[in-house]
Amino acid sequence: MAQFKRRDFLKAGIAGILVSRQAPLFAQANTVHIVRWNDFVPAADKVLREVFAPEVQKALGIKLNVETINANDIPARATSAIQSGSGPDIFMLLNNYPHLYASAAVDVGAIADEVAKAQGGIYEASAALNRVGGKWVSIPWSVVPAMIAYRKSWFDEVGAKTFPKTWQEYHAVGKKLKANKHPIGQTLGNTFGDAPTFTYPLLWSYGGQEVAKGKVVLDSKETLDSVRFMVQFWNDAHDEGGLAWDDSNNNRAFLSGDISASLNGASIYVAALNGADKFKTEKGAPLHTDILHAPLPAGPKGAQAYHTAFNHMVMKYSKNAKAAIEFLRWAHKQENYEKWFVVQKGFAVGATRVWEKHAMWKNDPVMLPFRGGAAQQKRLMGFSGQPNQKAAEVWNKFIVTGMYAQACSGKVKPEDAVKWAAGELRKIYT
Amino acid sequence: MLIERKWKKWLYFYLPMAAFIVFTLFPFYWMAVTAFRPDAELYATWRQPNAAPLWTLHPTFEHVIGLMKTTAFPTWMWNTMAIAIVSTAISLVCGMFAGYALARLKFRGSEFLGTAIFITYLVPQTLLFIPLADIVRDLRLGNTPWALMLTYPTFLIPFCTWLLMGYFKTIPKELEECARIDGATRFGAMVRIIFPVAIPGILSAGIFAFTLSWNEFIYALVFMASADTKTVPVGVVSELIRGDIFFWGQLMAGALLGSVPVALVYSFFVEYYVTGLTGSVKG
Amino acid sequence: MGGGRAAQDLHLSARSSTEGARVSRLTRLLESEKALAAALLAPGVAILVVFIAYPFVMALWYSLTSIRVGDAGHFVGLDNFAKAVDDTIFQQAFKNTVFYTFWATIFKLSLGMWLALLLNRHFRFKRVVRASMLLPFIIPTVLSAFAWRWMFDPTFSVMNWMLYHGGMITDRLPFLSSGDWAMWCAVLVNTWRGMPFFAITLLAGLQTISPDLHEAAALDGAGAWHRFWHVTWPLLLPVTLVVVVFSVIQTFSDFQLIYVLTGGGPANSTHLIATYAYQIGVASGLLGEGAALSLFMFPVLFAVVWVQLRYLKRMEAA
Repeated sequence: MAQFKRRDFLKAGIAGILVSRQAPLFAQANTVHIVRWNDFVPAADKVLREVFAPEVQKALGIKLNVETINANDIPARATSAIQSGSGPDIFMLLNNYPHLYASAAVDVGAIADEVAKAQGGIYEASAALNRVGGKWVSIPWSVVPAMIAYRKSWFDEVGAKTFPKTWQEYHAVGKKLKANKHPIGQTLGNTFGDAPTFTYPLLWSYGGQEVAKGKVVLDSKETLDSVRFMVQFWNDAHDEGGLAWDDSNNNRAFLSGDISASLNGASIYVAALNGADKFKTEKGAPLHTDILHAPLPAGPKGAQAYHTAFNHMVMKYSKNAKAAIEFLRWAHKQENYEKWFVVQKGFAVGATRVWEKHAMWKNDPVMLPFRGGAAQQKRLMGFSGQPNQKAAEVWNKFIVTGMYAQACSGKVKPEDAVKWAAGELRKIYT
Repeated sequence: MLIERKWKKWLYFYLPMAAFIVFTLFPFYWMAVTAFRPDAELYATWRQPNAAPLWTLHPTFEHVIGLMKTTAFPTWMWNTMAIAIVSTAISLVCGMFAGYALARLKFRGSEFLGTAIFITYLVPQTLLFIPLADIVRDLRLGNTPWALMLTYPTFLIPFCTWLLMGYFKTIPKELEECARIDGATRFGAMVRIIFPVAIPGILSAGIFAFTLSWNEFIYALVFMASADTKTVPVGVVSELIRGDIFFWGQLMAGALLGSVPVALVYSFFVEYYVTGLTGSVKG
Repeated sequence: MGGGRAAQDLHLSARSSTEGARVSRLTRLLESEKALAAALLAPGVAILVVFIAYPFVMALWYSLTSIRVGDAGHFVGLDNFAKAVDDTIFQQAFKNTVFYTFWATIFKLSLGMWLALLLNRHFRFKRVVRASMLLPFIIPTVLSAFAWRWMFDPTFSVMNWMLYHGGMITDRLPFLSSGDWAMWCAVLVNTWRGMPFFAITLLAGLQTISPDLHEAAALDGAGAWHRFWHVTWPLLLPVTLVVVVFSVIQTFSDFQLIYVLTGGGPANSTHLIATYAYQIGVASGLLGEGAALSLFMFPVLFAVVWVQLRYLKRMEAA
């Protein structure tokens, strides 16, 4: 390795001296390089760097290198790392990505079993996303529940003292809100977070399914009903700009008072809390005092939800796989995980049941709806089939979201949108 | 000389010129205003009564300072600059040599090679970056600036070669022949006679290459892993957008500051750039 | 100069000796056109072979297999290409790419030409203006695309603000929320970005046209438009062609601008071939299919370049 550096020097002369500031390649025996997303709660990343890193160094002698990038860029990094056989030791993967990269993963069943035993069991939904062929290819780290954040005062104004329980009620309330220039804001764009967490549960709550018994059944009456409803709902109650929104637009729109309700993780509320002096209601009060959370309303077949799952995969190509596993084991220990959990304030919850009972939930009643969120999730992409690679392809191509988006844009009739989506699914599933 | 009346000048020159200037520079003005605008004003919706997106009465340096202090922006600038300089240098040298060989030397396959070099320009980066990741790993270049310094020339060399080839063709053969009669070697004549004459073309190619490597995104995104090896485009995009929250103030500050070095280079060399292109396009 | 003298001496003494006894092998090498050419071309060709030709062949291989991330897959022939042709999103992406390239090039050429003509005059601050006109081209695409995205933002758009206060609209314009609008916005941003390159290059070309030609035409009674069309335009054709070809290549394979501006949305309606290939290959891990999608760009680009090379050859022969 030192030889390489010398050749480098000769090769480049001055440019080489100035630029090659790489760390010596041999000093990496016990370094664990983990790639995660830029957390929507920045304080959590601080905990990783300023609390976890020094403590795990002391406890296990492991040097933790935390790299955070845009969530949307993680697939690119993972793909090129796996293809080139070198890169970070641990990747944070969203949703059912573990199914996509399963062949490049180290079996982490040992940790999973330990954690499940110690913490009251892992949620079935999280388990399904992390298990392929009976093996744990990754370990669930957390779940970010999505709830509807809404402006209490504006809902009161139109007579909704409690949050609507069904889609029809929500539709009626939304109509009045939009008439008051406070529409609902929802993204139907090609974005990983807020769009599918809305469209998939909507589909399910009407009884629509992607796959059943190995066949594509998306083009059913139930699906069509849900699309028809959504078009009406969209025109009557929503901010039409939502077709172009990504995951951040609704946050901004809500915080500037442009919309009255939006499905989101808790980041809107947390931002309002942290910026109490910046974000105010039109009456001058801090915005966070006017925010409440509620789950998605119910359709004819009940209320459904999808919450974004965050998982850690240890990569097979990694030379530090052992250290990586030890790190994860250490991080999942209750006393350590707790430090990360508490700073999230409920934005992200643990993937095990024990965290529902944590004292933190007593601090803020506004955050309470997030507590049971992950536990209630029953369905996953690909329902009622498996959340496997094909389901991931459908998810990544935004086919379900696209079906609603096309219909709501007014350019495509609901029947045709459903037909298109089912056609695309068939191409993937056969 | 053609005499024009005053009004004609206004209609055909001043007005269109002004329109072009506004069209071209308005986004920069707006970026500057956003970069110096306090956060409280940044989130005024377009319909809000007191929204004033075109100016701010409370300019602040907090975004610039935040950018410099809380992110590795200065490091990114340094990285991008170093990578751009080195890859430009490599591409220029290769381009000068190759351009001369293709323009002046007769050998079998020169036409084929010229076309082949040009064809490589057509291969899109989105196609190459996965296999390239393999090669970068095999050469142990991952996460080092050399990964980019050696891959950027792949899209810089074809252009430099082509540009300089055109330029060299316009230089009269007599210059070389005189030098060779005086006893210089071909190589010597190339270096001592032809290259100095072609300086405008070389500068032109160099500036263009510099701009292109400053601008590159995909390879930098995929090959550079840690915060202190990133380039400006990748760093700004990946660290100033924390999911939900775009730090628009810092983003715009980063965008402005990120263009300063290249703009400076251009301001010194734009004359050369223009004359350089003149020479090459004639050929 | 010392080195040169020494080489010269060596050379002369080599020439003067009857046998090649004193001839430096290096000198002889440097004299041979073939050897010199090989030596000069070696570094450039080496880089291109290692970092383009070889990965290109690998990518070609990928496109013929069912390779996905972490799984080498097996040979599937042209299946990936067939699947792409059948894919409605890809069909849209292809149409978008053609649309985007066509309109952006037309605008860049016409506006660039106009601007070049304007800049060709003498006026105060000419140098400053000329330098500042290049700014859109200089700033990294990713960064300026972000600025434009913010300017078109549904909630905060400064454009909407200006039009609203100018009394021209009552409700906001759906810049990036509607597929059609979004494509035109992308064309606008691409034009904004690329026009300076056209302008400066065409300006360089204009400056090679002798003013006498214009004077002669004017004396013959030709108006400004006539002069442009019959004197300027034909003389600029070679430059124009070259610049158009480069621009078409860049625009057709564009990735960054759409990636940042719209991400391919809304509802996959603004995808270009490059962004869609990226989404399939990388986000879904379907490397073989992604490679096949990328390769669809090749025939078009190849055709464009081929036409240009033929034309240039004809011009050179003439």
